[in-house]
Order: sequence, then C-alpha cells, then structure tokens
Amino acid sequence: MTFVDFLNLLISALLLAGTYAAMAIGMTVIYGVMKIVNLAHAGFLMLGAYFVYELHERAGLHPLLGVLLAFPAFYVVGVLVHWALGRGVPVSDKPTLASLLLMFGLWLVLQNIGYLVWGTDDRAILTPMTFATIRFGEITIPKIGLVVFASAVISLAALEFVLHRTWFGRSIRALIQNRYSCRIVGIPVERTARRTFGLGIAFAGAAGGLLALLYPFSPDFGRPFLLRSFVIIVLGGLESFSGVFVGSLILALVETFSIFIVPSSYQPAISFSLLVVALIVLPGGVAGFAARMRSRRAE
Amino acid sequence: MSAAERSPGLAARPLAVLPPLILLGLLAALPLLNLGANSVKVLFLTFVSIAASVGWNILGGFAGQVSFGFAVFYGLGAYTTAVGINEGLNPYLTYPLAGAVAALASLLVGLPTFRLRGPYFAIATIGVSEATRVVMTNLEFTGGASGYRITEHVPFRQLEHYFTGLMLAALAVGLSIIVRRSRFGLGLRAIRDDQDAAADSGVNPYALKLGAHAIAAALTAAAGGVYARYAAFIDPEGVFGFPRGVGILLMPVIGGVNTIWGPVIGGGVYGVIEEELVARFPQLHLLLYGVLVMLIILFEPGGVVGLLQRTRRFVLRRREASWQPS
Amino acid sequence: MAALLSVEGLTKRFSGLAALDQVSFEIREGEIVGLIGPNGAGKTTLFSIIAGSQPPTSGKILFEGRDFTRVKPFRAVHAGIARTHQIPQPFLSMTVRENVEVGLRFGRDPGGARNLVKEVTEILELVGIASLENMAAVTLSVGDLKRLELARTLATRPRLLLCDEVCAGLTECEMQSILGLLRRIQALGTTIIYVEHNLRAILSTCHHVIVLNFGKKLAEGPPETMQNDPAVIEAYIGKKA
Ligand SMILES: Nc1ncnc2c1ncn2[C@@H]1O[C@H](COP(=O)(O)OP(=O)(O)OP(=O)(O)O)[C@@H](O)[C@H]1O
Ligand SMILES: [Mg+2]
Repeated sequence: MTFVDFLNLLISALLLAGTYAAMAIGMTVIYGVMKIVNLAHAGFLMLGAYFVYELHERAGLHPLLGVLLAFPAFYVVGVLVHWALGRGVPVSDKPTLASLLLMFGLWLVLQNIGYLVWGTDDRAILTPMTFATIRFGEITIPKIGLVVFASAVISLAALEFVLHRTWFGRSIRALIQNRYSCRIVGIPVERTARRTFGLGIAFAGAAGGLLALLYPFSPDFGRPFLLRSFVIIVLGGLESFSGVFVGSLILALVETFSIFIVPSSYQPAISFSLLVVALIVLPGGVAGFAARMRSRRAE
Repeated sequence: MSAAERSPGLAARPLAVLPPLILLGLLAALPLLNLGANSVKVLFLTFVSIAASVGWNILGGFAGQVSFGFAVFYGLGAYTTAVGINEGLNPYLTYPLAGAVAALASLLVGLPTFRLRGPYFAIATIGVSEATRVVMTNLEFTGGASGYRITEHVPFRQLEHYFTGLMLAALAVGLSIIVRRSRFGLGLRAIRDDQDAAADSGVNPYALKLGAHAIAAALTAAAGGVYARYAAFIDPEGVFGFPRGVGILLMPVIGGVNTIWGPVIGGGVYGVIEEELVARFPQLHLLLYGVLVMLIILFEPGGVVGLLQRTRRFVLRRREASWQPS
Repeated sequence: MAALLSVEGLTKRFSGLAALDQVSFEIREGEIVGLIGPNGAGKTTLFSIIAGSQPPTSGKILFEGRDFTRVKPFRAVHAGIARTHQIPQPFLSMTVRENVEVGLRFGRDPGGARNLVKEVTEILELVGIASLENMAAVTLSVGDLKRLELARTLATRPRLLLCDEVCAGLTECEMQSILGLLRRIQALGTTIIYVEHNLRAILSTCHHVIVLNFGKKLAEGPPETMQNDPAVIEAYIGKKA
C-alpha cells in the first residue's frame, strides 16, 4: 500500500464516520432518555431513503432538500408513533425485553409495508454528483461522499446546539443523567420523552435519506445499518453523544482498513462480530474502558 | 386461584396427560384419511416449526433469554444432516448428530454472550446470527451461497417425513414438559424472574442458561435436519437467514411464551400461515406477524394462551356471578 | 474457637466514595452479631461483598479458614452463606411454596431423596407464613414479603445468615415475633449477622455488636458496653436523636 492509497482510504473512512454518526445518533438519544433499544430504527432508515427517493423522482426535489424535509416529517411521525404506542414505550431505568420486542414488531411492520409499496427491487438515487469526484493531486474524493458528510456534520452541529442551548435539549441531557431528580425539579418527563422519540426518528429518517445517496436500497435496507448503529452506540457507551463520534470513527476505520486482512466476501461479518465483542468486552464503551484502565493504574 | 393454575401438579391430575396423548394419536392416525399431498406437507412443516418453537421457548420462555439467533442452530442442523446423508449416514443418525453439533455451537455462542443480560443478550444474538450467515455463505465445501443438494438413493416417501416430523414435535413437547417440572426448570424460572435473587438462592445462572441453550439448540437443529432431508436442497439464506431466526422467535411469542402449549399453538399458526399466505402474498405474513407482536406486547403478553386463559376466567366469573342470587 | 468468618481490611470504593474502609472483624460460630450504623454506613455493601454479589476493592474474606474473597454468589450459598435483602427480592411469578423450593433444591444441601413438601412446610411454619403457601408472591403484603425473604434464605440451609433490616417497616408485634424467630434459628445452629437500626432489638437479641460509620469500623464488643461507648453515642445515637 502506498502512502497515497493510505490517505485515500483514511479520507473515505472519515467521510463514512460522519455519515455513521448521523445514523447512530437517533438511536442514542432514544436509548439515553428512555432506555428503549429501538430496533425499528432500521425501518425508519429505510422509510427515510424512500421518502427522499420519492420526492426526488416525483417532485423533482433535490435529494438534499429531501433530507432537510425528512427532519420535520419524521419528527411528526416519531411523535405520532410514540403517542400510539402509549404505555408500550415507558421511560424506564433499564432496557426491557418488552420494549425491545415491541420495536422489533414495529420494524417488521415498517419493512413489510415497504415491500408492499415498493417491492423487492433495489432502487438508487442518482444525481449528477453520484459519480463525480474531486481531485487533489493523487487524492480523489467522491463528491457525493463529501456532500453527505457535510450534511451529516451540519445536522449534528444543529443537534449539538439544540442539546446545549434550548430548554428541551437541557431536559434531554438531564434525563439521561438522572431521571429521578428530573421529576423532582419539575421537568415534564413524559413530554420530553415524546419529543425525544420524535427527534430520534427524525434523525433516523434523515440519515436514511443520506445513506440512500451513497448506497442502493430496498425495504430491507436498514438491517445492516441497524447492526452498525448498535456497534457504534455500544462502542460509544450507549448514551453518550460524544461516544457516538468515537464509535463511528472506530467502526469506519475498522471497516475501511480491514480489507487488508479479511477477504471482501467476509467483510459484512466484521461489524457483526465487532458488535458481539464490543458488547462483551466494553460494557461502558471505549470511554468506560479507558476510565477503568486509568483507575487501575491509579491504584 | 391464579396460583393454583400456575402449578398444576401432575400427580394431582393424572388425567392431564390424556388430551396430549389423544391429540398425538389423532395426528398419527390422520394420514389414514388419505389427505392430499399438500395437506400432509403443511402438517409436516407445522411439526418442524413446532419443534423449533418449543425448543426456543426452553431458553427464551422458561429462562427468559430472548434470542434472535436460532437460525444458527437451525442452519447447522440442516447442513449437518445434509452433509451426513450425502456421506452415506443413515438419516435418522444425522438428527442426533445435528443436535450434538448445535449443542456444541450453543456453548460457543453462550459462553461469551451469557455474560450479557436481557436486551443486550438479544442484540448480541443478532450479531452472532448475521456473522454466521456470512461465514456460511462463503464456505466452499457446502457450495457457499448457491446452496447444497442432498442426494438420497431411496424413493421419496412423504408419510415417512410426516411421521418423523410428528415424532420430533412430540419429543420436543415431552422434553419441554420434563424440563418444566424438573429442578432444572425451577432454576430457569428463578433466573427468568430475577437472576440475582436466583444466584442468592444457590442457582448457578450461567450454567443453567448454558444448559437451556444447549437443549433448545439441539431441538432446533433436529428440526432443521428433518426439514433439510425433506427439502433435499438448502441454502444459507434460507436456513441461516435472519428471517429464519425471526420466525423461530415469533412462534412462541405469538402462541404464548413461557408455557408448554403456547409454542405449540404458535408453531401451528405459523406453519399454516406460512403455507397459505406466503405463496400468495409474500410480504403480507411478515406484516401480520409484526402487527401481532405489537398487539401481544401491548395488550396480552401471554400470547394466544394468555388470551385463552383470560377468556376462560372471564367466562367462569360470569357463570359464578349468574349463580349468585342477587 | 476458630472464627467462622473473618474479614480483613475490607475496602470498597464507588468512584471515590469509600463505602467500606479497611474493615476487619471476626465472627464466631453460633453467635448472633448485631451490625449497626447510621444510614449509608456501608452495612448493605458489606453484606453484598461477603455474599459475593459485589467484588471488594481490596481486602480479604475467610470463611472457615478458606478464602472467599470475590466468590460467586451461588458458591457462597453452597458453602453456607446466605443473605436476605433489605428490599425483599421474591420470585414474582412463583407461589410462596415454590419460592422456598428454589432455595431447598439449589442451596447448600440439595440432596436427592427427601421430602421436599414437608421441608417447605416446616420452613414456612417456622417463619409463620404456612397459611400463605399457595399464594402468588406478587400478592403478599410487605410484612409477609419480609418473612418470605427470610424463608427463601433459610431454605438454602445457611450456616451463616446475613439479615439486612428484616424488621424495618414492621409493627412492634411483628418485630418481636421475627426476633424470636432469629433466636430460634440461632438455637438450631445457624450463626447470624443482623443489621438493624432499632437499638432495642439489637440489645435484646445480640451477643456481640459491630458498629460501622462512614465505612469504618467504629467499635465492637458486647451490646451493653457499646451502649455506653462515647464514640458510638456521638456517631450513631447522638446523630439519630
Ligand atoms: N452501587 C453503588 N454505587 C455507588 N454508590 C453506592 C452503591 N451502593 C452503595 N453506595 C454508597 O455506599 C454507601 C454505603 O451504602 P450502604 O447501602 O452499604 O449503606 P447502609 O449502611 O446499608 O445504609 P442503610 O442503613 O440506609 O441501608 C452509601 O453512601 C451509598 O450511597
Ligand atoms: Mg442497607
């Protein structure tokens, strides 16, 4: 491998990491606030892809505009779903199997509605950007990758703003840290949970739209990305926002550079195995692991 | 009253074994009616489903450890039987062999993943299942993704398959009853209720979960093996695919998890729906299952069995009320 | 007589906070030992570590001279260490009888051929909930749950029983009957460490008292001397009053 190859791979890994972070963040906020493992995340990623696709095909809307529209649209969807599921999605202190299975049922429903509406064929969103590249000397960057990365980063920056500068965002962070005292100081837990659910789904939908710009998709689109989202949030320590970036980066780097070690046909197994390893070896995420190491050294 | 329902002592009700035995007898005599080949096929597939469903329930129901990864065992069983038969083994020897292979695999899966609890275990099993599928898709000696064909030099007799399936389902139910009533089963229930409290009562949760996993895996693998011989052709997507694992989980959840008969009912429902709906509306059945799962979690976690019990209680109460002079 | 349990320099830190700090003591076979201390003193944490539910940060636990530090909870039970929880942890899907059966069949002496039904009944009678044997555990009152907790634990046939506030929230009358029960259990040959906030209960029941405060062992000795120990009065009684 030449240095240029290495740089090319590194850049594509970084671009991928940004997209992954946008993909996984929706799962983290929902898990953080109500400890629901949102298996239906896969379904909303898929719906987001078709949302952007349909707007593009039928209304000729630019895909990035579609992604932007996905935020409010899926926010509303998320709030409605949360309302409809009612006591099935309580704010709990521990993830439960009941809510896991409920979200799994929802995923099945969404996925197969997808099949009924769009059939089993792969679709793709093609724009002039899709195959364009930008060259810096010997380094080539796919234009679409850059655009998707930029959109992901902008949306994450917006989220960061919401979390730190708005009352809603502060309630979310407070809930993640200590839901017991939240009730005492009068944070409306249920309402915050509903909006958080909406927020998580909004990000899932928009991220699905972004991913659809990079990969062809079918109603089963979400499954591999669901597993990747798991890997990321587990590596990140499950409910930490900065952890999501660390997790995304690790996964993207591992996936990108493992082609030197693992034959490409085994490639998909990497994130799956990484998931199992991360769950078992890193119960507190990478940060938790680092903290444990530090405290061990201190003693 | 509800407590008495929960622990029906077999000794106290010796007649309780009769209905299942009568059912078994009826099913065994059913082919005398000269059913069409298609009905026999549906019944056969239902038996296979029941065996896997009852197997899953030993881990997922009795011990409360929900796994999305039973396609691993179903697939291993299918491939073990397939390769075994092609290597000249008696088919009936390949089923226990399939069970043994899967039990071994279940240890490999369980040793790391049972360190995790509840939902984390469930998620890890998704990873294990998908990783296994990828590996099997690439395995050359079984033909990789293009599948594997079984060649037997005996004529195909559908009734033989029918009875094999029936026996396997009966074995599974019998085993599940035995486990339920044993010390082992009591330990599993304790783990399901509260793993820490179980350990404080002297139960070794790790060992018992591994045991339940092994039994469940063996039954599921035997089901996979019996199915493979019938189908004569298997491919990784079909037997190792995520939808397979999902199907094995859905049956007991729909029928009623953590009961003896729930998984049987679920397996029956599933087998019939699968055959009747899949051909005509390929996606509708999964949509239906999704809706069912959501309804069950929201309104009746006991599944079909829970619904039946609730109805019975309701009827009994009505009758009681009408007896009382007001 | 050699100690049944000895704890040497036990320390437990929760991210900075020392819930236990260099605690050492010995328990002789056949005693009822009172463990007292204000809220947050580390009593429950001490029990958790002895029973194996939590690992200590450092220190050592010997049971009958063997090293039991970081033992798995079920192994502790098999050796004869059993604990009740401050908040009862029954198996909620089971009946009272089945709850006790778990302990009998998985405890220290899970031996085969014996009369389980009779043994369960004996234990239920001992703790006084025999009439509830077929009730579902979910339906029990707080007082009955406390008794069930004790019954579940006794069913494992412990040699060392760790009782965590079995009387909290009970009426005076109920408390007296539980104290009588503890004395009977002790008379049957079980050693007991008993955590309690009610000093009268401790004085009337225990042979020996250990006082914890902020994770440190403050004092230990016969109950009468503890009552007059100025350090104890200041840390415990003085604050509480
Ligand atoms: N899992 C934990 N994580 C962090 N801190 C803990 C944990 N468990 C206990 N503590 C802290 O350790 C200290 C000792 O707690 P412990 O429950 O042992 O006290 P206690 O003597 O049993 O009190 P009480 O009389 O209220 O039952 C307390 O300050 C408590 O907050
Ligand atoms: Mg305490």
